[in-house]
Amino acid sequence: MATLLAFTVFLPLIGALALVLAPGLDKGAARKIALGTTLATFALCLAFLAGFEPDVTTPQFAAGPDGGPYGWSWLVRPDVRFALGLDGISIWLFVLTGLLMITGVLASWESISERAPLYYAFLLALEAGLLGLFAALDVVLFYIFFEFTLIPLFFIIGLWGGPERKRASIYFFLYTLAGSLLTLLGVIALVVVHMQHTPEHVLTFSIPELTQGLSTLPWDEWYRTDSWTSPQVLIFLLLLAGFAIKVPLFPFHTWLPLAHVEAPTAGSIILAGVLLKLGTYGLIRFNMAMTPLGAQALYPLLAGLCVVGIIYGALAALAQSDMKRLVAYSSVSHMGFIVLGMMAMSDTGLNGSIIQMVNHGLSTGALFACVGVLYDRYHTREMSQLGGMWDKFPLLTFFFIFSAMGSAALPGLNGFVGEFPILTATFAVSPVAASIASLGMILGAFYLLLMIKRVLFGPLVEPGHDGHDHGHGGHAEVAPIGWHEIAALTPLAALILYMGIVPEPFFARIRPAAAEVTQVVAREREAAARVVAGGPAAPSDASVSMLTPATR
Amino acid sequence: MTPEYAYQTVQQTLYVLAPEILLVAVAIVMMTAAPFVRVARKGWCAIAAAALAAGILVLMATRHVDPDVYVATAVNDAMSYYVRLFVLLSGFILLGLAHREPPEDRSAEFFGSFLMIQAGAMLTASANDLILLFVGLELVSIPTYLLLYLSRRTPSTQEAATKYFFLSIFASALLLYGMAFLYGVAGTTNLKALGALAASSIPYFPNASLGILAVVFIMAGLCFRVAAVPLHFYAPDVYQASPLPIAALLAWIPKVVGFVAMIRALTAVLAAREVGDPLVHKVVLLCWIIAAATMTLGNAVALLQSDLKRLLAYSSIAHAGYLMVGITAAFAGGEKGIALYHGAESVLFYLAAYAFMTLGAFGVILALRTRDGRPATTIDDLAGLGWTNRIPALGLTVCLLSLMGFPPLAGFFGKLQIFAAAFSAVDGEEAGSLKLLAIVGMLNAAVGAFYYLRIIVLMYFGTPAEPLVATGGWPVALAAGACASLSVLIGIAPESLSRACRDAAIAANTRPAAAVELPPAVVGSAEPAATQVARD
Repeated sequence: MATLLAFTVFLPLIGALALVLAPGLDKGAARKIALGTTLATFALCLAFLAGFEPDVTTPQFAAGPDGGPYGWSWLVRPDVRFALGLDGISIWLFVLTGLLMITGVLASWESISERAPLYYAFLLALEAGLLGLFAALDVVLFYIFFEFTLIPLFFIIGLWGGPERKRASIYFFLYTLAGSLLTLLGVIALVVVHMQHTPEHVLTFSIPELTQGLSTLPWDEWYRTDSWTSPQVLIFLLLLAGFAIKVPLFPFHTWLPLAHVEAPTAGSIILAGVLLKLGTYGLIRFNMAMTPLGAQALYPLLAGLCVVGIIYGALAALAQSDMKRLVAYSSVSHMGFIVLGMMAMSDTGLNGSIIQMVNHGLSTGALFACVGVLYDRYHTREMSQLGGMWDKFPLLTFFFIFSAMGSAALPGLNGFVGEFPILTATFAVSPVAASIASLGMILGAFYLLLMIKRVLFGPLVEPGHDGHDHGHGGHAEVAPIGWHEIAALTPLAALILYMGIVPEPFFARIRPAAAEVTQVVAREREAAARVVAGGPAAPSDASVSMLTPATR
Repeated sequence: MTPEYAYQTVQQTLYVLAPEILLVAVAIVMMTAAPFVRVARKGWCAIAAAALAAGILVLMATRHVDPDVYVATAVNDAMSYYVRLFVLLSGFILLGLAHREPPEDRSAEFFGSFLMIQAGAMLTASANDLILLFVGLELVSIPTYLLLYLSRRTPSTQEAATKYFFLSIFASALLLYGMAFLYGVAGTTNLKALGALAASSIPYFPNASLGILAVVFIMAGLCFRVAAVPLHFYAPDVYQASPLPIAALLAWIPKVVGFVAMIRALTAVLAAREVGDPLVHKVVLLCWIIAAATMTLGNAVALLQSDLKRLLAYSSIAHAGYLMVGITAAFAGGEKGIALYHGAESVLFYLAAYAFMTLGAFGVILALRTRDGRPATTIDDLAGLGWTNRIPALGLTVCLLSLMGFPPLAGFFGKLQIFAAAFSAVDGEEAGSLKLLAIVGMLNAAVGAFYYLRIIVLMYFGTPAEPLVATGGWPVALAAGACASLSVLIGIAPESLSRACRDAAIAANTRPAAAVELPPAVVGSAEPAATQVARD
């Protein structure tokens, strides 16, 4: 399986190379190759999902013995390894990537004609980077994939984007790069601290080993945990720099609306659906699991940023007239929930965060796809220029409302399954934050319903209908929703419903891995609480626990 | 020392220096023969290439000659071997770039000077004596004056040559002054002996007040070579005024020479001292300031450039700053900062990565000309290149991404090693300032990404103004292509280069066990001076 995992990661890259190198490919052939590759990759993803054992907490499908070292040696000294594996935190994101890539290809089916082979090649390269990132078990490998994802998306936005594409792509690239360079330093710091202070001075770049090794260090004996001199706080901030921009947390979100508005539909789907999750995934993997005391010390600040982001994102979304911009700001709001949930550092919150990452990927991806369908036909995303789409596209209306409801956390759909545990866990730690965040949910329902009302209901409004019709028929020739668009949206809608009704299979795979992280966190916090008199004790079972009796 | 022993040592030293001697001999023959025989430019270029190839063979043949390091003026350790090998290999790239540069009638002198520069760079790497080190540095400088003026006799090259000449002389004087101080406090010019003295506990060496004078002046002299603040200001003017192949040479050879000399004469000598030592403490502070200032200035000013040569000049200043971070780490870490990456090791790795990415960028720009033969000079000339000249644009993109430090290219591993070295050099109270330097460096890398990215954006998202054609023939294409592919290759498989750099760093910082055999009068209170660097 280990070799197959590596093959899965590189399969899209092979497809991308084929697209670039094959001479004289036209649009039709290119998109077929791209669809074939993404379907094959997704099939492999599903194979891994089928073979995934829910109760095993060590990385699965990894080469090498069970306790590590995993993977194949890449650099002998220092021991950087090409190590891939999946655990409960990454498996769903891995599968989500495979699924959303198919959506991305199908969403570009008709809309991309210029330099189509190159476009799909970049899309596939992006998929390879994302799959590799979620599977990486080595920090250097993780970082390489983390950065690598920038290049394809940079070109996708810059070459196939809207009128402001040049500025958007530069902004996106530089902003993310600046943050991730500091993250690299944070990662180096983790490795160095681990090397200098473990009893055997082990130099390792392996993520599981670092997580275990760092948690056994006597952090609390060196410094007071709640002071700014704590080494974990510095490392936490360095790591946070890159991830907070990627998420994006409130003051670092400015690149996001621009990039979303300018990106082609598939770019937006992948950007919102998967790329933002790199930030939250990194936060769980590094900030939570390796520097929990830093997270604890900075909780007020971070929770504050999340809450401000939730409310600000919602209010900003409310004020938008551009649909894509609206969905982009709603992402800022929803990603705030995800970070807020993990910051509670309890099982419940972490489970909710991880599942909410998948939820947000599905519903936002679907929303962007719906907006893309309208944009392909009318070349506008202004809500004032569209209306009454219900009559025109009943099926699209269904998908649109469905994903909007999922996004607004309607009970019975997937958003609720994620946001409920997040709010429960947050309430246990900070009732104020939870209360304000709930307000964000209400606002969320408000702006999404408003968008639905303006675009889908009411009398039919179409751009070009009012006077300056350029003679080629305008609305009369608008194509009905095509098979590829239905194929892109159906699986997403199905999953939105399925996850809302039967969330247990999803939680079952997440729970053990999340428990592993919270155990590390609890261990360090208890040790710290013992040393620092009067320090905030870890709330052990104060929150509603998501643990089943068996795992408890 | 018996006469036989002296004779044997001299013989071995000559063996060690055989590649340099060969290159200089060929250069002298070329220059002498030039007035009497008529050979085309191609022929002279081929002779120079053959000399480089022969140099590699001689270097490999003499690999295992190891003269007594406390007597001989040249060493043949791993650092000497690998750096010389790398300089010779990079010589082919430079030769490829410069093969059409000189006019027919002056090509013998041009390629002769080029060989001498190569020999000088190699001499610096193998020097084990302050005097030989200085000779090596001058053997690089003096032919460079010639090169700057030989290829084109225009007012602008005249200006570049004059500027470079006076400043270089000035820098050499500073360097010599510093070396005099070093000799003054130690009484020996042998670098390994200096290192052994520093490792011993004799009270008068390294004397903190005289020692800092020596280090400051040597540093100043070398800062000119590597184009580090405050002696960086000549670089943009000289690069801009000189032809591209010469600018490429100036961006690479003086840098490798300067940093190798820093490792040989300063970091390796002071390696035995901890960061708590008053002298080392001051030196670390000095390097910290130079590194931070160089990076920041280079990157900030590069943002404003639109001329390609000036942009690359400021970029090379910025990279000198990153390399200075490695030197700072080497000083601070001494022999102990070896566990993750040693400062000297990271500097050597970064130099190798820098060679490929910078020479590659110069090579692509050199090849591009408009249809009427005007070379591409500003970044706007490159607009739309990605669609008109796909392969050169791809090569340039790879080199620029590598300069940016983008993974998984060579430049990424260079930056990783440099900053990891700074992070792991010391722990305790001194660690904070080095970590801060690493953070400053990373922020600089983020700023630096902008001006490289701007070129990439122009190449792919811009509309072409004037179509460019790739000229320069196969040698330029081969050289630039090799640079770009090696940037990728080293990024994917950095193992062998990394190991060579590590061996070199260990060799440079190791003092052989013979140190304890120094006369007791010199060593003073006997403490085992020979500290073997742990291999892991």
